[in-house]
Amino acid sequence: MMAVLELKNLEKSFGKLEVIKDLSFAVEEHSVFGFIGKNGAGKTTTMKMILGFLQPDAGEIYVNGERVAYGNSKTNRYIGYLPDVPEFYGYMSPKEYLRLCGEITGLPKEVTQARSKELLSMVGLENTNRRIRGFSRGMKQRLGIAQALLNEPRLLICDEPTSALDPIGRKEILDILSIARERTTIVFSTHILSDVERIADNIGVINDGKLVLEGPVQNIKNMKRKDTIQIVLSNQEMNTELMSRINELPFVLEGALEKDGILIKLTNAEKFGKEIMSLLVREDIPVLRYEILEPSLENVFLEVVG
Amino acid sequence: MKGYLAFTKKEFVEQIRTYRLLICLSVFFLFGLMSPLLAKLLPEILSGMDLQGMVLAIPEATAMDAYAQFFKNITQMGIIVILLVFGGVISNELTKGTLINILAKGLGRHTVILAKYTAMLVLWTLALAFASLVNHGYTMYMFDTSDISNLLFSLFCLWLFGAFLLSLIILSSVLTGGNFGGLILTVVVLGGLLILDLFPKLEKVNPIYLSSHNLEFLTGALMPADALLPVLVTIALLIGNILVSISLFNHKKL
Repeated sequence: MMAVLELKNLEKSFGKLEVIKDLSFAVEEHSVFGFIGKNGAGKTTTMKMILGFLQPDAGEIYVNGERVAYGNSKTNRYIGYLPDVPEFYGYMSPKEYLRLCGEITGLPKEVTQARSKELLSMVGLENTNRRIRGFSRGMKQRLGIAQALLNEPRLLICDEPTSALDPIGRKEILDILSIARERTTIVFSTHILSDVERIADNIGVINDGKLVLEGPVQNIKNMKRKDTIQIVLSNQEMNTELMSRINELPFVLEGALEKDGILIKLTNAEKFGKEIMSLLVREDIPVLRYEILEPSLENVFLEVVG
Repeated sequence: MKGYLAFTKKEFVEQIRTYRLLICLSVFFLFGLMSPLLAKLLPEILSGMDLQGMVLAIPEATAMDAYAQFFKNITQMGIIVILLVFGGVISNELTKGTLINILAKGLGRHTVILAKYTAMLVLWTLALAFASLVNHGYTMYMFDTSDISNLLFSLFCLWLFGAFLLSLIILSSVLTGGNFGGLILTVVVLGGLLILDLFPKLEKVNPIYLSSHNLEFLTGALMPADALLPVLVTIALLIGNILVSISLFNHKKL
Protein backbone atom coordinates (compact mmCIF):
# COMPACT_ATOMS: atom_id res chain seq x y z
CA MET A 1 0.00 0.00 0.00
CA MET A 2 1.20 3.43 -0.88
CA ALA A 3 1.36 6.23 1.63
CA VAL A 4 -0.67 9.23 0.48
CA LEU A 5 0.73 11.35 3.24
CA GLU A 6 4.08 11.02 4.88
CA LEU A 7 5.63 13.20 7.57
CA LYS A 8 9.28 12.76 8.42
CA ASN A 9 10.88 14.21 11.53
CA LEU A 10 8.83 17.38 11.45
CA GLU A 11 9.74 20.21 13.81
CA LYS A 12 8.12 23.57 14.34
CA SER A 13 8.40 26.19 17.01
CA PHE A 14 6.81 29.59 17.40
CA GLY A 15 9.44 31.71 19.08
CA LYS A 16 10.55 29.75 22.08
CA LEU A 17 7.50 27.54 22.13
CA GLU A 18 8.28 24.19 20.57
CA VAL A 19 4.98 22.99 19.19
CA ILE A 20 6.09 20.05 17.09
CA LYS A 21 9.16 18.03 18.05
CA ASP A 22 10.18 15.24 15.73
CA LEU A 23 6.78 14.23 14.38
CA SER A 24 6.66 11.35 11.90
CA PHE A 25 3.81 9.30 10.58
CA ALA A 26 2.38 7.97 7.34
CA VAL A 27 -1.19 7.56 6.15
CA GLU A 28 -1.97 4.76 3.74
CA GLU A 29 -4.31 5.12 0.83
CA HIS A 30 -8.02 4.50 1.49
CA SER A 31 -7.79 4.67 5.22
CA VAL A 32 -9.21 7.06 7.78
CA PHE A 33 -6.61 8.47 10.09
CA GLY A 34 -7.70 10.07 13.33
CA PHE A 35 -5.24 12.65 14.56
CA ILE A 36 -5.86 13.01 18.25
CA GLY A 37 -4.52 15.47 20.73
CA LYS A 38 -5.42 17.97 23.39
CA ASN A 39 -6.27 21.53 22.47
CA GLY A 40 -3.02 23.23 21.57
CA ALA A 41 -1.18 19.98 20.97
CA GLY A 42 -0.19 21.09 17.46
CA LYS A 43 -2.84 19.43 15.30
CA THR A 44 -3.76 22.53 13.31
CA THR A 45 -0.11 23.54 13.03
CA THR A 46 0.69 20.14 11.52
CA MET A 47 -2.16 20.42 9.04
CA LYS A 48 -1.13 23.90 8.00
CA MET A 49 2.36 22.62 7.34
CA ILE A 50 0.96 19.83 5.16
CA LEU A 51 -0.85 22.50 3.13
CA GLY A 52 2.24 24.66 2.83
CA PHE A 53 0.67 27.47 4.86
CA LEU A 54 3.35 27.28 7.54
CA GLN A 55 7.03 26.56 7.13
CA PRO A 56 8.43 23.64 9.15
CA ASP A 57 11.70 24.33 10.96
CA ALA A 58 12.95 20.87 10.03
CA GLY A 59 11.72 17.69 8.43
CA GLU A 60 9.91 16.76 5.25
CA ILE A 61 6.33 16.25 4.19
CA TYR A 62 5.28 14.20 1.18
CA VAL A 63 1.83 14.19 -0.36
CA ASN A 64 1.28 11.50 -2.94
CA GLY A 65 5.04 11.08 -3.14
CA GLU A 66 5.69 14.76 -3.89
CA ARG A 67 7.46 16.97 -1.42
CA VAL A 68 5.44 19.85 0.00
CA ALA A 69 7.02 23.26 -0.59
CA TYR A 70 6.15 26.19 1.66
CA GLY A 71 4.35 29.10 0.04
CA ASN A 72 3.36 27.82 -3.36
CA SER A 73 2.39 24.25 -2.82
CA LYS A 74 1.65 22.35 -5.99
CA THR A 75 0.84 19.34 -3.84
CA ASN A 76 -2.39 21.05 -2.78
CA ARG A 77 -4.01 19.82 -5.99
CA TYR A 78 -4.14 16.37 -4.40
CA ILE A 79 -5.67 17.72 -1.22
CA GLY A 80 -9.12 18.71 -0.14
CA TYR A 81 -9.04 20.79 3.03
CA LEU A 82 -11.75 21.53 5.53
CA PRO A 83 -10.53 24.19 8.00
CA ASP A 84 -11.77 24.09 11.59
CA VAL A 85 -14.02 27.07 10.92
CA PRO A 86 -14.49 27.25 7.14
CA GLU A 87 -15.18 30.75 5.83
CA PHE A 88 -16.79 31.54 2.51
CA TYR A 89 -17.68 34.55 0.45
CA GLY A 90 -20.96 35.48 2.08
CA TYR A 91 -22.34 37.08 -1.07
CA MET A 92 -22.32 33.82 -3.01
CA SER A 93 -24.74 30.92 -3.02
CA PRO A 94 -23.36 27.41 -2.40
CA LYS A 95 -23.64 26.61 -6.09
CA GLU A 96 -21.77 29.73 -7.10
CA TYR A 97 -19.08 29.00 -4.55
CA LEU A 98 -18.55 25.50 -5.87
CA ARG A 99 -18.44 26.87 -9.40
CA LEU A 100 -15.64 29.22 -8.33
CA CYS A 101 -13.79 26.30 -6.72
CA GLY A 102 -14.20 24.25 -9.88
CA GLU A 103 -12.84 27.06 -12.04
CA ILE A 104 -9.86 27.51 -9.75
CA THR A 105 -9.01 23.82 -9.83
CA GLY A 106 -9.43 23.83 -13.59
CA LEU A 107 -12.29 21.33 -13.74
CA PRO A 108 -14.36 21.35 -16.92
CA LYS A 109 -17.67 23.17 -16.49
CA GLU A 110 -19.89 20.11 -16.94
CA VAL A 111 -17.86 18.11 -14.42
CA THR A 112 -18.12 20.91 -11.86
CA GLN A 113 -21.85 21.12 -12.42
CA ALA A 114 -22.44 17.40 -12.10
CA ARG A 115 -20.25 17.05 -9.05
CA SER A 116 -21.65 20.15 -7.35
CA LYS A 117 -25.11 18.71 -7.71
CA GLU A 118 -24.06 15.36 -6.32
CA LEU A 119 -22.03 16.83 -3.45
CA LEU A 120 -24.66 19.37 -2.46
CA SER A 121 -27.26 16.64 -2.21
CA MET A 122 -24.81 14.50 -0.25
CA VAL A 123 -24.36 17.27 2.33
CA GLY A 124 -28.04 18.20 2.25
CA LEU A 125 -27.72 21.66 0.71
CA GLU A 126 -29.17 20.89 -2.72
CA ASN A 127 -32.18 23.13 -2.22
CA THR A 128 -30.40 25.96 -0.48
CA ASN A 129 -30.15 28.77 -2.98
CA ARG A 130 -29.77 31.67 -0.61
CA ARG A 131 -26.44 33.31 0.00
CA ILE A 132 -23.92 31.79 2.37
CA ARG A 133 -24.01 34.91 4.58
CA GLY A 134 -26.89 33.55 6.65
CA PHE A 135 -25.65 29.98 7.02
CA SER A 136 -25.40 28.28 10.40
CA ARG A 137 -22.14 26.78 11.54
CA GLY A 138 -23.29 23.28 10.67
CA MET A 139 -24.31 24.34 7.18
CA LYS A 140 -20.95 26.00 6.64
CA GLN A 141 -19.24 22.85 7.84
CA ARG A 142 -21.23 20.77 5.37
CA LEU A 143 -20.53 23.17 2.52
CA GLY A 144 -16.89 22.97 3.63
CA ILE A 145 -16.89 19.24 3.05
CA ALA A 146 -18.53 19.69 -0.35
CA GLN A 147 -15.89 22.18 -1.48
CA ALA A 148 -13.11 19.99 -0.13
CA LEU A 149 -14.36 16.97 -2.09
CA LEU A 150 -15.10 18.83 -5.32
CA ASN A 151 -11.83 18.05 -7.07
CA GLU A 152 -11.94 14.41 -5.95
CA PRO A 153 -8.83 14.79 -3.82
CA ARG A 154 -6.57 11.87 -3.01
CA LEU A 155 -6.38 13.17 0.51
CA LEU A 156 -9.10 14.88 2.52
CA ILE A 157 -7.83 16.81 5.51
CA CYS A 158 -10.40 17.88 8.09
CA ASP A 159 -9.41 20.06 11.00
CA GLU A 160 -11.69 19.29 13.93
CA PRO A 161 -14.73 18.90 11.71
CA THR A 162 -17.12 18.18 14.56
CA SER A 163 -15.82 20.16 17.50
CA ALA A 164 -18.03 23.19 17.20
CA LEU A 165 -21.25 21.41 16.35
CA ASP A 166 -24.27 20.23 18.28
CA PRO A 167 -24.90 16.45 18.51
CA ILE A 168 -27.11 16.38 15.41
CA GLY A 169 -24.65 18.40 13.37
CA ARG A 170 -21.86 16.11 14.54
CA LYS A 171 -23.72 13.03 13.50
CA GLU A 172 -24.43 14.53 10.08
CA ILE A 173 -20.79 15.37 9.49
CA LEU A 174 -19.64 11.92 10.60
CA ASP A 175 -22.19 10.31 8.29
CA ILE A 176 -20.93 12.41 5.40
CA LEU A 177 -17.34 11.49 6.19
CA SER A 178 -18.29 7.81 6.26
CA ILE A 179 -19.61 8.21 2.72
CA ALA A 180 -16.53 10.15 1.66
CA ARG A 181 -14.17 7.48 2.92
CA GLU A 182 -15.19 5.27 0.05
CA ARG A 183 -13.66 7.67 -2.43
CA THR A 184 -10.67 9.09 -0.68
CA THR A 185 -8.19 8.95 2.15
CA ILE A 186 -9.19 10.99 5.17
CA VAL A 187 -7.05 12.58 7.84
CA PHE A 188 -9.02 14.30 10.52
CA SER A 189 -8.02 15.83 13.79
CA THR A 190 -10.19 15.86 16.84
CA HIS A 191 -10.29 15.72 20.57
CA ILE A 192 -13.66 13.97 20.60
CA LEU A 193 -12.76 10.33 21.00
CA SER A 194 -16.13 8.83 20.24
CA ASP A 195 -15.89 10.35 16.75
CA VAL A 196 -12.58 8.63 16.20
CA GLU A 197 -13.98 5.33 17.37
CA ARG A 198 -16.84 5.69 14.94
CA ILE A 199 -15.00 6.30 11.71
CA ALA A 200 -11.23 6.00 12.01
CA ASP A 201 -9.21 2.96 10.98
CA ASN A 202 -5.94 4.19 12.38
CA ILE A 203 -5.12 6.77 14.96
CA GLY A 204 -2.15 8.80 15.98
CA VAL A 205 -2.08 10.50 19.34
CA ILE A 206 0.03 13.64 19.49
CA ASN A 207 1.26 14.87 22.83
CA ASP A 208 4.07 17.22 23.64
CA GLY A 209 4.85 17.61 19.93
CA LYS A 210 5.42 13.92 19.33
CA LEU A 211 3.34 10.99 18.26
CA VAL A 212 2.99 8.98 21.44
CA LEU A 213 0.71 6.28 20.10
CA GLU A 214 -0.05 5.08 16.60
CA GLY A 215 -1.83 2.16 15.01
CA PRO A 216 -5.19 0.61 14.14
CA VAL A 217 -7.98 1.68 16.50
CA GLN A 218 -8.86 -1.89 17.43
CA ASN A 219 -5.30 -2.87 18.29
CA ILE A 220 -4.81 0.15 20.44
CA LYS A 221 -7.99 -0.44 22.32
CA ASN A 222 -6.98 -4.03 23.00
CA MET A 223 -3.37 -3.26 23.72
CA LYS A 224 -4.25 -1.12 26.66
CA ARG A 225 -7.11 -3.36 27.45
CA LYS A 226 -8.47 -3.08 30.91
CA ASP A 227 -11.89 -4.61 31.05
CA THR A 228 -14.62 -3.47 33.33
CA ILE A 229 -17.49 -5.55 34.60
CA GLN A 230 -20.52 -3.83 35.98
CA ILE A 231 -22.77 -5.69 38.40
CA VAL A 232 -26.06 -4.37 39.72
CA LEU A 233 -27.68 -6.38 42.51
CA SER A 234 -31.39 -6.54 43.09
CA ASN A 235 -30.74 -6.41 46.80
CA GLN A 236 -28.64 -3.32 47.38
CA GLU A 237 -27.86 -4.33 50.95
CA MET A 238 -25.59 -7.10 49.76
CA ASN A 239 -23.31 -4.69 47.89
CA THR A 240 -20.74 -4.30 50.66
CA GLU A 241 -20.53 -7.97 51.33
CA LEU A 242 -20.01 -8.77 47.67
CA MET A 243 -17.40 -6.05 47.38
CA SER A 244 -15.22 -7.54 50.06
CA ARG A 245 -15.48 -11.00 48.48
CA ILE A 246 -14.58 -9.68 45.06
CA ASN A 247 -11.59 -7.73 46.26
CA GLU A 248 -10.20 -10.99 47.62
CA LEU A 249 -10.04 -12.51 44.15
CA PRO A 250 -6.46 -12.51 42.76
CA PHE A 251 -7.26 -11.36 39.19
CA VAL A 252 -9.25 -8.30 40.21
CA LEU A 253 -7.26 -5.09 39.74
CA GLU A 254 -9.72 -2.83 41.42
CA GLY A 255 -13.26 -3.06 42.68
CA ALA A 256 -15.31 -0.02 43.46
CA LEU A 257 -18.82 0.65 44.61
CA GLU A 258 -20.35 3.33 42.46
CA LYS A 259 -23.84 4.70 42.42
CA ASP A 260 -24.74 2.68 39.34
CA GLY A 261 -23.47 -0.59 40.78
CA ILE A 262 -20.23 -2.37 41.42
CA LEU A 263 -17.46 -1.72 38.91
CA ILE A 264 -14.73 -4.33 38.73
CA LYS A 265 -11.58 -3.68 36.73
CA LEU A 266 -9.72 -6.79 35.63
CA THR A 267 -7.33 -7.89 32.91
CA ASN A 268 -9.56 -10.25 30.93
CA ALA A 269 -13.30 -10.18 31.42
CA GLU A 270 -14.06 -13.23 29.33
CA LYS A 271 -11.64 -15.51 31.07
CA PHE A 272 -12.09 -14.42 34.67
CA GLY A 273 -15.72 -13.40 34.37
CA LYS A 274 -16.76 -16.98 34.88
CA GLU A 275 -15.20 -17.05 38.32
CA ILE A 276 -17.11 -13.95 39.30
CA MET A 277 -20.32 -15.51 38.06
CA SER A 278 -19.67 -18.72 39.92
CA LEU A 279 -19.03 -16.66 43.03
CA LEU A 280 -22.41 -15.02 42.59
CA VAL A 281 -24.10 -18.39 42.16
CA ARG A 282 -22.26 -20.01 45.05
CA GLU A 283 -23.18 -17.26 47.45
CA ASP A 284 -26.71 -17.14 46.07
CA ILE A 285 -26.60 -13.40 45.36
CA PRO A 286 -29.49 -12.26 43.15
CA VAL A 287 -28.20 -10.23 40.21
CA LEU A 288 -30.18 -7.62 38.33
CA ARG A 289 -27.56 -6.91 35.70
CA TYR A 290 -24.17 -8.24 34.71
CA GLU A 291 -22.35 -6.42 31.95
CA ILE A 292 -18.92 -6.37 30.42
CA LEU A 293 -18.23 -2.73 29.51
CA GLU A 294 -16.49 -2.13 26.19
CA PRO A 295 -13.01 -0.73 26.51
CA SER A 296 -12.99 2.83 25.24
CA LEU A 297 -10.37 4.97 23.60
CA GLU A 298 -10.98 7.53 26.26
CA ASN A 299 -9.20 5.42 28.84
CA VAL A 300 -6.32 4.85 26.46
CA PHE A 301 -6.11 8.54 25.65
CA LEU A 302 -6.12 9.61 29.27
CA GLU A 303 -3.47 7.05 30.05
CA VAL A 304 -1.15 8.11 27.24
CA VAL A 305 -1.65 11.84 27.41
CA GLY A 306 -2.48 12.40 31.05
CA MET B 1 -4.31 31.30 -16.26
CA LYS B 2 -7.67 29.64 -15.63
CA GLY B 3 -7.26 30.28 -11.94
CA TYR B 4 -6.39 33.91 -12.62
CA LEU B 5 -9.50 34.44 -14.74
CA ALA B 6 -11.70 32.65 -12.21
CA PHE B 7 -10.40 34.67 -9.31
CA THR B 8 -10.61 37.95 -11.23
CA LYS B 9 -14.21 37.13 -12.03
CA LYS B 10 -14.84 36.47 -8.35
CA GLU B 11 -13.37 39.90 -7.57
CA PHE B 12 -15.76 41.55 -10.01
CA VAL B 13 -18.73 39.69 -8.52
CA GLU B 14 -17.53 40.85 -5.11
CA GLN B 15 -17.28 44.46 -6.25
CA ILE B 16 -20.82 44.32 -7.54
CA ARG B 17 -22.45 42.44 -4.66
CA THR B 18 -20.68 44.31 -1.88
CA TYR B 19 -21.71 47.60 -3.57
CA ARG B 20 -18.12 48.72 -4.15
CA LEU B 21 -18.79 49.27 -7.83
CA LEU B 22 -21.95 51.22 -7.08
CA ILE B 23 -20.23 53.39 -4.44
CA CYS B 24 -17.24 54.19 -6.64
CA LEU B 25 -19.24 54.92 -9.76
CA SER B 26 -21.80 57.09 -8.01
CA VAL B 27 -19.22 59.08 -6.06
CA PHE B 28 -17.13 59.63 -9.16
CA PHE B 29 -20.23 60.52 -11.13
CA LEU B 30 -20.95 63.19 -8.55
CA PHE B 31 -17.41 64.54 -8.89
CA GLY B 32 -17.87 64.78 -12.63
CA LEU B 33 -21.14 66.57 -12.19
CA MET B 34 -20.20 68.83 -9.29
CA SER B 35 -16.93 70.19 -10.58
CA PRO B 36 -18.21 72.32 -13.49
CA LEU B 37 -21.28 73.23 -11.49
CA LEU B 38 -19.25 74.49 -8.56
CA ALA B 39 -16.97 76.44 -10.87
CA LYS B 40 -20.01 78.08 -12.43
CA LEU B 41 -21.87 78.76 -9.23
CA LEU B 42 -19.03 79.83 -6.95
CA PRO B 43 -18.77 83.41 -8.30
CA GLU B 44 -22.53 83.78 -8.09
CA ILE B 45 -22.63 82.46 -4.56
CA LEU B 46 -19.88 84.86 -3.54
CA SER B 47 -21.48 87.83 -5.22
CA GLY B 48 -24.78 87.07 -3.56
CA MET B 49 -23.20 87.28 -0.14
CA ASP B 50 -23.35 90.45 1.89
CA LEU B 51 -19.69 91.42 2.11
CA GLN B 52 -20.40 94.65 4.03
CA GLY B 53 -18.99 96.97 1.48
CA MET B 54 -15.97 94.92 0.45
CA VAL B 55 -15.61 94.64 -3.24
CA LEU B 56 -14.49 91.27 -4.62
CA ALA B 57 -13.32 91.25 -8.17
CA ILE B 58 -14.26 87.80 -9.32
CA PRO B 59 -13.27 86.92 -12.83
CA GLU B 60 -15.74 85.05 -14.97
CA ALA B 61 -15.47 81.29 -14.45
CA THR B 62 -13.84 79.31 -17.25
CA ALA B 63 -13.39 75.70 -18.28
CA MET B 64 -10.07 75.79 -16.41
CA ASP B 65 -11.89 76.49 -13.16
CA ALA B 66 -14.15 73.52 -13.81
CA TYR B 67 -11.11 71.30 -14.35
CA ALA B 68 -9.37 72.78 -11.32
CA GLN B 69 -12.36 71.68 -9.25
CA PHE B 70 -12.37 68.29 -10.93
CA PHE B 71 -8.71 67.51 -10.25
CA LYS B 72 -9.04 68.78 -6.71
CA ASN B 73 -12.05 66.57 -6.06
CA ILE B 74 -10.51 63.44 -7.53
CA THR B 75 -7.10 63.82 -5.91
CA GLN B 76 -8.59 64.53 -2.51
CA MET B 77 -12.04 63.01 -2.00
CA GLY B 78 -11.61 60.49 -4.81
CA ILE B 79 -8.49 59.07 -3.28
CA ILE B 80 -10.10 58.85 0.13
CA VAL B 81 -12.97 56.90 -1.41
CA ILE B 82 -10.55 54.53 -3.18
CA LEU B 83 -8.65 54.05 0.08
CA LEU B 84 -11.80 53.26 2.04
CA VAL B 85 -13.14 50.90 -0.59
CA PHE B 86 -9.91 48.95 -1.11
CA GLY B 87 -7.97 49.49 2.14
CA GLY B 88 -8.30 45.91 3.39
CA VAL B 89 -8.22 44.15 0.06
CA ILE B 90 -5.81 41.38 1.11
CA SER B 91 -5.86 41.61 4.90
CA ASN B 92 -9.66 41.30 5.06
CA GLU B 93 -9.58 37.94 3.35
CA LEU B 94 -6.72 36.79 5.54
CA THR B 95 -8.39 37.86 8.78
CA LYS B 96 -11.68 36.28 7.80
CA GLY B 97 -10.02 33.14 6.46
CA THR B 98 -11.89 33.11 3.15
CA LEU B 99 -8.62 32.74 1.26
CA ILE B 100 -7.71 29.49 3.03
CA ASN B 101 -10.10 27.29 1.04
CA ILE B 102 -9.03 28.88 -2.19
CA LEU B 103 -5.30 28.55 -1.56
CA ALA B 104 -5.78 24.99 -0.31
CA LYS B 105 -7.09 24.24 -3.79
CA GLY B 106 -3.66 25.00 -5.17
CA LEU B 107 -4.31 28.50 -6.54
CA GLY B 108 -0.94 30.24 -6.69
CA ARG B 109 -0.54 33.06 -4.25
CA HIS B 110 0.83 35.38 -6.93
CA THR B 111 -2.42 34.78 -8.83
CA VAL B 112 -4.41 36.17 -5.91
CA ILE B 113 -2.37 39.38 -5.93
CA LEU B 114 -2.50 39.81 -9.69
CA ALA B 115 -6.22 39.07 -9.92
CA LYS B 116 -7.03 41.50 -7.15
CA TYR B 117 -4.87 44.20 -8.70
CA THR B 118 -6.51 43.65 -12.07
CA ALA B 119 -9.99 44.00 -10.65
CA MET B 120 -9.06 47.10 -8.67
CA LEU B 121 -7.44 48.66 -11.72
CA VAL B 122 -10.51 48.00 -13.84
CA LEU B 123 -12.78 49.59 -11.27
CA TRP B 124 -10.51 52.65 -10.95
CA THR B 125 -10.32 52.99 -14.73
CA LEU B 126 -14.10 52.75 -15.05
CA ALA B 127 -14.72 55.24 -12.27
CA LEU B 128 -12.20 57.74 -13.58
CA ALA B 129 -13.39 57.40 -17.18
CA PHE B 130 -16.98 57.85 -16.06
CA ALA B 131 -16.16 60.94 -14.00
CA SER B 132 -14.03 62.41 -16.80
CA LEU B 133 -16.73 61.89 -19.41
CA VAL B 134 -19.43 63.45 -17.27
CA ASN B 135 -17.16 66.29 -16.27
CA HIS B 136 -15.99 67.00 -19.78
CA GLY B 137 -19.48 66.85 -21.23
CA TYR B 138 -20.86 69.18 -18.63
CA THR B 139 -17.90 71.53 -18.90
CA MET B 140 -18.34 71.70 -22.66
CA TYR B 141 -21.99 72.50 -22.16
CA MET B 142 -21.32 75.36 -19.79
CA PHE B 143 -17.97 76.78 -20.85
CA ASP B 144 -15.78 77.29 -23.82
CA THR B 145 -13.29 74.39 -23.87
CA SER B 146 -11.34 75.36 -26.96
CA ASP B 147 -8.20 76.43 -25.11
CA ILE B 148 -7.77 73.15 -23.22
CA SER B 149 -4.70 71.25 -24.30
CA ASN B 150 -3.19 67.87 -23.35
CA LEU B 151 -6.44 66.77 -21.71
CA LEU B 152 -5.97 63.06 -22.34
CA PHE B 153 -2.39 63.12 -21.14
CA SER B 154 -3.34 64.98 -18.00
CA LEU B 155 -6.05 62.41 -17.30
CA PHE B 156 -3.57 59.62 -18.02
CA CYS B 157 -1.26 61.07 -15.37
CA LEU B 158 -4.10 61.04 -12.88
CA TRP B 159 -4.99 57.47 -13.86
CA LEU B 160 -1.38 56.33 -13.49
CA PHE B 161 -1.19 57.94 -10.08
CA GLY B 162 -4.30 56.01 -9.11
CA ALA B 163 -2.80 52.79 -10.45
CA PHE B 164 0.28 53.44 -8.34
CA LEU B 165 -1.89 54.10 -5.31
CA LEU B 166 -3.69 50.79 -5.79
CA SER B 167 -0.37 48.91 -5.94
CA LEU B 168 0.61 50.69 -2.74
CA ILE B 169 -2.66 49.61 -1.10
CA ILE B 170 -1.96 45.98 -2.09
CA LEU B 171 1.55 46.12 -0.67
CA SER B 172 0.36 47.74 2.56
CA SER B 173 -2.45 45.26 2.89
CA VAL B 174 -0.02 42.34 2.50
CA LEU B 175 2.38 43.86 5.01
CA THR B 176 -0.10 44.60 7.75
CA GLY B 177 -2.81 42.64 9.42
CA GLY B 178 -6.28 43.68 10.45
CA ASN B 179 -8.95 45.55 8.58
CA PHE B 180 -7.40 48.99 8.58
CA GLY B 181 -3.68 48.23 8.58
CA GLY B 182 -3.42 48.54 4.82
CA LEU B 183 -5.32 51.78 4.80
CA ILE B 184 -3.22 53.36 7.53
CA LEU B 185 0.10 52.30 6.02
CA THR B 186 -0.91 53.67 2.60
CA VAL B 187 -1.86 56.99 4.18
CA VAL B 188 1.49 57.10 5.99
CA VAL B 189 3.41 56.44 2.76
CA LEU B 190 1.34 59.05 0.90
CA GLY B 191 2.09 61.50 3.70
CA GLY B 192 5.79 60.74 3.28
CA LEU B 193 5.58 61.34 -0.48
CA LEU B 194 3.77 64.65 0.11
CA ILE B 195 6.56 65.77 2.42
CA LEU B 196 9.17 64.75 -0.17
CA ASP B 197 7.22 66.80 -2.71
CA LEU B 198 8.25 69.91 -0.76
CA PHE B 199 11.80 69.50 -2.05
CA PRO B 200 11.88 70.82 -5.63
CA LYS B 201 14.83 68.61 -6.53
CA LEU B 202 12.92 65.45 -5.73
CA GLU B 203 9.70 66.56 -7.37
CA LYS B 204 10.26 64.69 -10.61
CA VAL B 205 11.02 61.34 -9.03
CA ASN B 206 7.86 61.45 -6.95
CA PRO B 207 4.52 59.98 -8.13
CA ILE B 208 2.80 62.93 -6.45
CA TYR B 209 3.90 64.95 -9.48
CA LEU B 210 1.28 63.13 -11.56
CA SER B 211 -1.53 64.27 -9.31
CA SER B 212 -0.39 67.81 -8.61
CA HIS B 213 0.33 69.28 -12.03
CA ASN B 214 -2.71 68.19 -13.98
CA LEU B 215 -4.03 71.67 -14.58
CA GLU B 216 -0.69 72.94 -15.85
CA PHE B 217 -0.88 70.44 -18.68
CA LEU B 218 -4.29 71.78 -19.66
CA THR B 219 -3.12 75.38 -19.71
CA GLY B 220 -0.06 74.42 -21.69
CA ALA B 221 2.30 75.56 -18.93
CA LEU B 222 3.68 72.01 -18.92
CA MET B 223 4.02 69.63 -21.84
CA PRO B 224 3.85 65.82 -21.75
CA ALA B 225 7.62 65.63 -22.24
CA ASP B 226 8.06 67.35 -18.87
CA ALA B 227 6.36 64.44 -17.16
CA LEU B 228 8.45 61.70 -18.74
CA LEU B 229 10.60 61.08 -15.70
CA PRO B 230 7.73 61.04 -13.17
CA VAL B 231 5.75 58.70 -15.44
CA LEU B 232 8.66 56.27 -15.74
CA VAL B 233 9.46 56.43 -12.04
CA THR B 234 5.82 55.81 -11.14
CA ILE B 235 5.54 52.83 -13.49
CA ALA B 236 8.73 51.38 -12.00
CA LEU B 237 7.47 51.89 -8.44
CA LEU B 238 4.11 50.37 -9.34
CA ILE B 239 5.70 47.22 -10.77
CA GLY B 240 8.07 47.10 -7.81
CA ASN B 241 5.15 47.31 -5.37
CA ILE B 242 3.40 44.40 -7.04
CA LEU B 243 6.53 42.25 -7.20
CA VAL B 244 7.39 42.89 -3.58
CA SER B 245 3.78 42.17 -2.60
CA ILE B 246 3.90 38.82 -4.38
CA SER B 247 7.19 37.86 -2.83
CA LEU B 248 6.04 38.86 0.68
CA PHE B 249 2.72 37.11 0.23
CA ASN B 250 4.46 33.91 -0.90
CA HIS B 251 6.25 33.81 2.42
CA LYS B 252 3.36 34.82 4.57
CA LYS B 253 2.16 32.49 7.31
CA LEU B 254 -1.49 31.70 6.95
